[in-house]
Amino acid sequence: MDILVLILIVPFVLGIVMFFMPLHFKVLQNLHIVFSFAVSTLLLMAVAKVVNGNELFAFERFFFLDALGAIFLSLIAITGLLVNVYATTYMKWELEEGHVTLRQVKNYFALSFIFTWTMSLSVVCNNIAFMWAAIEATTLASVFLVAVKNDKKSTESGYKYIILCSIGLAFALYATILLFAAANGNIEGDAMLYTNLLANAEQLDTMALKLIFILALIGFGTKAGFAPTHTWLPDVHAEGPAPTSALLSGILLKCALLGLIRYYAVVANGVGLDFVQSVMIVSATLTLFVSAFFLIRQHNVKRMFAYHSVAHMGVIAFGLGVGGPIGIFAALFHCAAHSFTKALAFCSTGNIAKIYGTKDMTKMGGMIRIAPITTVLFGIAICSLVGVPGFAIFVSEFLIFKAAAIDGKYILMGIFALALAIIFIADFSHFFLASFGKVEGTVVHNGEMKLSENLPLIALAVLIVTFGVWQFESFTFLLDQSVKSILKQ
Amino acid sequence: MANLNLIDIITVLMMGTSFAVFGLRQYRHSILAYALQTLLLVIVFLLLHVKYGAHELLIWSATAFVMKVVVVPLFLFRLVKKLGLVVEDEPVGGFFISPVVALSFSLAVAMMFYKVFINFSLFQDTLPLFAASFIFMMGIFGFILRNSFIKQILSYCLFENGIHLSLALMAYNAHELVEVGILTDAIFAVLIMGILAKRFYATYGSLDTSKAVNLRG
Repeated sequence: MDILVLILIVPFVLGIVMFFMPLHFKVLQNLHIVFSFAVSTLLLMAVAKVVNGNELFAFERFFFLDALGAIFLSLIAITGLLVNVYATTYMKWELEEGHVTLRQVKNYFALSFIFTWTMSLSVVCNNIAFMWAAIEATTLASVFLVAVKNDKKSTESGYKYIILCSIGLAFALYATILLFAAANGNIEGDAMLYTNLLANAEQLDTMALKLIFILALIGFGTKAGFAPTHTWLPDVHAEGPAPTSALLSGILLKCALLGLIRYYAVVANGVGLDFVQSVMIVSATLTLFVSAFFLIRQHNVKRMFAYHSVAHMGVIAFGLGVGGPIGIFAALFHCAAHSFTKALAFCSTGNIAKIYGTKDMTKMGGMIRIAPITTVLFGIAICSLVGVPGFAIFVSEFLIFKAAAIDGKYILMGIFALALAIIFIADFSHFFLASFGKVEGTVVHNGEMKLSENLPLIALAVLIVTFGVWQFESFTFLLDQSVKSILKQ
Repeated sequence: MANLNLIDIITVLMMGTSFAVFGLRQYRHSILAYALQTLLLVIVFLLLHVKYGAHELLIWSATAFVMKVVVVPLFLFRLVKKLGLVVEDEPVGGFFISPVVALSFSLAVAMMFYKVFINFSLFQDTLPLFAASFIFMMGIFGFILRNSFIKQILSYCLFENGIHLSLALMAYNAHELVEVGILTDAIFAVLIMGILAKRFYATYGSLDTSKAVNLRG
């Protein structure tokens, strides 16, 4: 069977199988790990085909996998696998502490495969309306990964998540319908297929394309966490279990962004780059400064990382706004760098919450003496998030500066530098607060986690450092091909 | 010509029902108004099928009837009955102001939108295109101006009806999986929102979403 068809079936089937497994934690834990490996292997096999120069199509081009999609599919495979492995540890702790029931754990594991399936579906859809449906489905599949418990905060986060994302995405559906209507009859072939729309973008009405891009930005931007419609994100990321926050921030936001990037490509080729770049710069600047402002005030470690997600979506938008081959390359690289970094950041908050029994950083302190490995992992996440050289995020942020400098966009460089400086200061003050000095609150778990429990986090840290110092030929190939396809070079 | 007039009349009625879904205080009446609106939507699909020979819309009308005239209203009736609810909580700005604000802003936005849509629509029916934008915006304002969780679910249903009508007018000939995907999402969204509404009621003791203020900052 075709690999593209397999990745559209297997995660869904495994999710359903998981729903029918017996209520025995060891069985569920082992199955979750085995199934995660199986899904990720399949996804990476599909990515490998694209790296070898193939573009995959299925069901009369309804589904496809190009280099751009392959980048995001590899994030689902790699980040998804490591977070899912960590989720088994995290859920074991939650179960031991009586925060969740075994049935809730089983549902969580099963839903995480349905969630992976919807995300993979959104990445491989060539039909833009079905891509929208898949992105909306990611929200539906992940609501109960966020609202795991039945308490007030959990319910509130689930409510805000589904309501705000559904409203936002409705605008994206209007963009989709309008794009189809504008293209239907004016271009050859099915006007719902992204490949046809991109190939014939120059034939589309420019005024319609401008409205379409604004609607798509509101829609996919809401789901991706762009200001001012980002308000659901801090609540949802802060309240969900640590692995859910890692999946949402590390992968889901990128899937919504991929939807926007596809519209960016069509509109840029139909209207011209200046329009999409200007719109993205306005959105990115607003997102960066709103998140920086809220970031300074945060003492809840997960809420702090949630605002970081908003900030880094702003960085990606800034890369797309600066534009040009280097700007777009940087934005796509940042998707991967942020995915690994934020997965590590949120997973380390799982360890931290276990140690202190709280997410409030003012009640922590002295973590370096209690759990040195967790502190180092937390530090690596922070260093990468603020763009310290040698870590993955530095590469993309540096490239954005480079792209702006080449085009002589010095004011944009200044704006970008100012926003990053605020984030830098806010982050390190928070990091020192939690990691050094004396313990301010109570220590619930006095000691480091087991090495096996920290293994997925260590793997993420290795990825962050490796991507910061090493250039992977296959990954660079995917980035180059994606930039070429977006700019139609 | 007779068909054309009938389509216009029914879409105007749909606009009226969206105002009823939004403004009626009793949940049962609101849900009934929604079911009626969706029935009118089904009739519009059938009339468009007759007028333009678009056989796809015949299938759309059948699926919309089953899922949105029967299943969704029944689910919402059951939900309201199970929670023992009769009248919604006070909305933002009160029971009188919020429908007036929603109506005027929705009319204004629809006036702008339909002029763009008419240039690209497969079917050049002005009033239905206007109605689609209006119903969509009434749904959006429902989210903003009504505090009741049930009313917000109905608002979702409203804007989904607006989108469904737009889809029929502007993209009826898209791949059949598109309608299946969008409709499936809508049904699951209502079901999940319903489950969350039950949880909300159990934890907060009401469906007033303005009480959900534990996660600010």
